[in-house]
Amino acid sequence: MLRFLALVLLGALTGSLAALAAVGFVSAVVWLNDLLLVSPRGRMMFAHPEALAIATVLVPTLGGLAVGQLHRAIRERRPHTPAELIAAVQTRRGRLPARAGVLSALSGLISLGSGASVGQYGPLVHMGASLGSLGARLLRLGRSDDNVAIACGVAAAIAAAFHAPLAGIVFAHEVVLRHYALRAFAPVAAAAIASHIIATQALSRGALFHVTDTAVPTPWEFVGFIVIGGLGALVAGAYMHAILAVGRRAAKLPLRPSLRPAAAGAALGLVALWVPDILGMGQETLRFATIQGAFSSLDLVIVLVLKLAATAMCIGMGFGGGVFSPALVIGTLFGALCGTLATQAGLAGDTFVFYAVCGMVAVTAPVIGAPLTTLLIVFELTGSYALTTAALASVILASPIAAQLFGRSLFDTQLARRGLDLSAGRSRALLQSARLEHLLSEDGVTLSPHDSVDQAIAALSAGGHGEAYRIDSRRRYRGSVTLADLEVMRGKGQGHFRVNECRDTPRPVLGPDASVWDAMQHPQDVSGEAIVVVDEASDTFLGVVYEASITRAYIQHSEALQREEHGTG
Amino acid sequence: MAQAKRPTTCARRLLTLGLATVLLAAPPALTQASDDTAAPLDVLSWGGTYVEAQRRALFEPFTQATGIPVRVHRYNGSLAQLRQAVNRGDVPWDVIDMRRSRARTGCADGLLQPLSAEILTPSPQGTPAKRDFIDGALSRCAITHSVFATVVAYRRDAFPGQRPTEIADLFDQQRFPGPRALQRDPAVNLEWALLSYGVPEQEIYRLLSTRRGLSLALKRLKNLEDLQWWEGGDAPVRLLAENKVVMASGYNGRFFDAMVDRDLPIEILWDGQVQEHETWVIPRGAEQAESARRFIGFATATERQTAFAQIIPYGPSRRSATRQVSNHPDSGVDMRLHIPTHPLNAKHAITKDETWYARTHDRIRDYFREALPGDSAGADNPP
Repeated sequence: MLRFLALVLLGALTGSLAALAAVGFVSAVVWLNDLLLVSPRGRMMFAHPEALAIATVLVPTLGGLAVGQLHRAIRERRPHTPAELIAAVQTRRGRLPARAGVLSALSGLISLGSGASVGQYGPLVHMGASLGSLGARLLRLGRSDDNVAIACGVAAAIAAAFHAPLAGIVFAHEVVLRHYALRAFAPVAAAAIASHIIATQALSRGALFHVTDTAVPTPWEFVGFIVIGGLGALVAGAYMHAILAVGRRAAKLPLRPSLRPAAAGAALGLVALWVPDILGMGQETLRFATIQGAFSSLDLVIVLVLKLAATAMCIGMGFGGGVFSPALVIGTLFGALCGTLATQAGLAGDTFVFYAVCGMVAVTAPVIGAPLTTLLIVFELTGSYALTTAALASVILASPIAAQLFGRSLFDTQLARRGLDLSAGRSRALLQSARLEHLLSEDGVTLSPHDSVDQAIAALSAGGHGEAYRIDSRRRYRGSVTLADLEVMRGKGQGHFRVNECRDTPRPVLGPDASVWDAMQHPQDVSGEAIVVVDEASDTFLGVVYEASITRAYIQHSEALQREEHGTG
Repeated sequence: MAQAKRPTTCARRLLTLGLATVLLAAPPALTQASDDTAAPLDVLSWGGTYVEAQRRALFEPFTQATGIPVRVHRYNGSLAQLRQAVNRGDVPWDVIDMRRSRARTGCADGLLQPLSAEILTPSPQGTPAKRDFIDGALSRCAITHSVFATVVAYRRDAFPGQRPTEIADLFDQQRFPGPRALQRDPAVNLEWALLSYGVPEQEIYRLLSTRRGLSLALKRLKNLEDLQWWEGGDAPVRLLAENKVVMASGYNGRFFDAMVDRDLPIEILWDGQVQEHETWVIPRGAEQAESARRFIGFATATERQTAFAQIIPYGPSRRSATRQVSNHPDSGVDMRLHIPTHPLNAKHAITKDETWYARTHDRIRDYFREALPGDSAGADNPP
């Protein structure tokens, strides 16, 4: 009980720190944007058009250069994103690295500050999670508590950045924890509330959308919102595909990885001379997209396509930053396009903003894999029930269609490409990430090919095993023999034969990096007592993993998951 | 300058004396005696009813309380005189009443002394000054003492059966038909035009910083039919009084004067009011700097701010003072309805972004002139 209360307290503390960090981060980005002539306000207040044009190209280029150098100090040579923390929590690894956390936050800050078309919520979420994980490590808490602390940081970051504590709590559960244990709920809620209180003191901001109270969509417009949801899923898919495709292409460019962001920055700056809307997070663009008549249909298409391309280029070429804010902008532009077309067809009246919000939700929810969070953000930001139900209508089709065509979210797809498949749930991911190496036993009976059958039987009897493994003088694996076969040979009077003349029994062979999940696939088609572990490169025999220990590991992981996901305190 | 015209004055001195006696610990005899010894405080302020109200609510009570006499000098609000005086090394004033926008420039140019929030008193309820003052009231060299607003006023008799309730109604000539009068300047008009699209107050200047935002705002203004441009501050009231327009922008003090003193059938639409700050500053080289700080502390106390706002419709910069404002001491008018900072009126108030205008005004004005070239005001435009 005391331990649980301490965890709640840690949650509140994490929430407060994450909120302060988030407020600091957001303020620093605003300050940099004004200073570096990225924000419209900064640009408008600067009176020299030629210098402004030079700055428009130079600032993102230099920002990209700085970010590229920064990434060389990170082990993976790229900034960490929410995908990393999802992986850490889903595989119960926890322990987010502090160094990579700090460098990734810095990378996000420079990228956003210099006008790259990326989002701020990714870095904020990762920063909060790193703080939580660090707190758990300082207090020497277990892996489960580490996961909860990470979720606390995530919830706090969302609560602070959006002024939406409920969305923060739901996001932490829906995207990061992926379970709803009461044990995690209380600390996460404490973090969200603490963060909300601090953020409302420090960051004042207007509602993201303004809705005139009189507008209520007609019943058949809801059908339109559902359709927007289906189409939005396609836009979301295009957005995610574009990000990943640019990433793949960038790897083939004859350009050093540390210079790629600078190239993206230069290209971004050049296009921004023509369409400045694509610079930065695009809050102004998002706002205009909710205003009927602010864009013509053609403008909407141009800005939508360019914003999508700019974001894919910035993230794919290695700028640090999130995918959420650009998705908000792209989605709102898409919704506004639907709204404009509906208005031109005489179908929509003063419900334009509903279309914009539906488009926003339809594109954003699939990208982050969080339909409930997106709905709650709309609800908490607008306080409008009518708008939230309209958004709900569009999410109905958006999330499942995108999941069918693409995957649960961009994060999950990125992880799957790095070898962590979360599509079959957490227990599988956990077993996939548990390495066989740790279960390795050296009790197995090994035989030299020159040993006689009699010697082999004696060794097996002494060890109490039914199978032995032949290794040559250079410890290379040379197949398995069973006690039964050896006995048969002895029965035939071949006791003096060498073991390499004995029949080979095929046994599964895996490398030391193979996962428990891989090992579990084998007992299904082979009945043996152990799996042989061999170093793939040199063919060296490393030992065996007994089926009993695989089963034990499986049970242990399942129990740990159960405790984490169904514990109450 | 948002100035009300001279109100009818009756028993003002009597009342001030009464107030002073209640307030003060020092008996009049002692005050009289110290008058001769204390060096007078030279205050530079605006003219008209404004300075009369200051005399009654601030200067006379200050003299009563401290024995320091106050000498009032008038100016037109510009920095030119002060700049000359500072350069000359002979500054004849100790305290200046100055627009916040000018105070910012003056501070940056080193014409003003830094002011610490230490000189301010807490509210009667004990709220520390820093939390009691409205946002943006305390800057390095200036302390906001009151707030005035540019608002829209309309003729009560123009729209039978309905009243404008939000700033978007200024642009809605279907529901509220009739000619409008607006100041011939981009400031305030652009803000209102963009607000009418449903943009929240906090984002106005960020959005006006984009080409898209500017052209949206100008489109609204261009679509207004029967628009007259005014330049002199007295024109809006005159145009409304003569029934030449049914809605006009103008300073809240002028409209107050027209409604209360002249009994004209007009009403203020507070939605979207654009607020500006009046501040106290101490010039560099002021001889009585110590008395000046003492005066600023005294004049910005909750009680004095309340007294000032009850005579003239300027919003106090302290939340505690705004809450205490009640009726005009002479006419009995409920002043809460007339001061810009009262919560009833300030729900969707914009604070004019002076830093933004300082850097952009000329370019914005060019855009504005280019988009709205026609001088539709014609003969009605005052000189």
